[in-house]
Amino acid sequence: MENNYHFSEESINSSISFRSLVNATSYPGRHFQITKLKKPNILSNAAATILITLCDNESNVYLSKDFSTDEVKDWLIFNTGAIVSDKQNANFAVGDWESLLPLDEFKTGVPEYPERSATLIIEESNYKKIKCNINGPGIKDKLQIELPNPELFINNSHLYPLGLDFYFTNDLDILSIPRSTKISVTNSEY
Amino acid sequence: MNDMSKDKNIDIQIYNFAYLDENTKRMIRRALLKALCIPGYQVPFSSREMPMPYGWGTGGIQVTSACLIPKDVLKVIDQGADDTTNAVSIRKFFQKTANVAVTEKTSDASLIQTRHRIPETKLKEQQILVYQVPIPEPLRFLEPRETETRKMHALSEYGLMFVKLYEDIAKHGHIETAYAYPVKTNGNYVTDPSPIPKFDNPKMNNNPAIQLFGAGREQRIYAIPPYTNVKSLDFEDYPFEAMKANFKCSICGSSDSYLDEIIVSDDGKRSYICSDTDYCKEQTQLNSKEEDQ
Repeated sequence: MENNYHFSEESINSSISFRSLVNATSYPGRHFQITKLKKPNILSNAAATILITLCDNESNVYLSKDFSTDEVKDWLIFNTGAIVSDKQNANFAVGDWESLLPLDEFKTGVPEYPERSATLIIEESNYKKIKCNINGPGIKDKLQIELPNPELFINNSHLYPLGLDFYFTNDLDILSIPRSTKISVTNSEY
Repeated sequence: MNDMSKDKNIDIQIYNFAYLDENTKRMIRRALLKALCIPGYQVPFSSREMPMPYGWGTGGIQVTSACLIPKDVLKVIDQGADDTTNAVSIRKFFQKTANVAVTEKTSDASLIQTRHRIPETKLKEQQILVYQVPIPEPLRFLEPRETETRKMHALSEYGLMFVKLYEDIAKHGHIETAYAYPVKTNGNYVTDPSPIPKFDNPKMNNNPAIQLFGAGREQRIYAIPPYTNVKSLDFEDYPFEAMKANFKCSICGSSDSYLDEIIVSDDGKRSYICSDTDYCKEQTQLNSKEEDQ
């Protein structure tokens, strides 16, 4: 029986997707492509793939308001067994930028266990973007990218080694900004 | 009874792709991504029993298994050599369970699992180097309690490690540590580079490839992302020095690769050869080409 909401070949497709995630996380600020899968319309391929590849019954997932539909919840729970949770307990959060704010409700880890922090999956929307320079691990010299509210990312990187890790998703495209990335705003008007 | 495995019409996969089940892979994959976000920090993971004894690379093999994709070209080395028991067994394991292509050439490999060496050939972007790690905690021999070492990392309290290095200098006149030489990753966590010779330490710094570390028995995963600052610990007046035996390889003649010492006769005559067998082969071929011209 064909399952409508899943990778066609789970083991192979999850490995290929994970490899894209490894590359994206290793080389922040660069775009990587992710495979297609069957998923609810509101989720991008990339966001759905991250959830399917990483979540299981130990994962708390926060769905921001537009994404918190029955279709998304059913799909997520059926395919991963993940727990739909509030912001404070979330390991993963999905939403567009504005709906995920404020960021300070998400967990950033504790000094002994900095990995106990949320991973935010930010879906493309019409948020205002500002040109930033980024450098740090995974970035050769520096890169220029556009980020919404860069001051929030700067604050996040000041928490290092604690902090949140971000994936920007748009259709098949994925870009990562982990907590280790240092951000500076290029435009002096800002 | 109907033996299904003998029925050719039914394609029974004996193993899931790359051996581990999907739930285990998810758990390892989450740990790996957090490890990449926090360079040098040891992420605990619930290590599985693998079909080989602890100390043979059960951590490395789990990391490789979680990362492998069908079009990967896998290289496995043990102390730099492709043809030793450990390397051959692990390579065969993934040929059997993941049906991936294998190679001995560093430049052709997309994923390299290694025990105790970094290849001499420079690694490239998006290549993955998986280290097998016996003791991931660099402070373990100085402080046996996990609760304490965890606190020391949280507070960046690394005085004890510097005292250890200082005592080396006080006793021997130089830092005696020759392998598993501690490094500081991204200016924050002191990290165990696994028991690679300190000759290899500088290769970890600012490397374009992705470096992943798996310790199976100790249940830890950590990572050094590409282009990350990795500094070997030292003192201003006793700077870190990468060193190797001051000889030439007796096969390829290379004087800049790491050498193994071998005893070649009953009266203890010594000879030195490259520890990296692929590099040695390459150099030998280059030499013979030059001779032909």
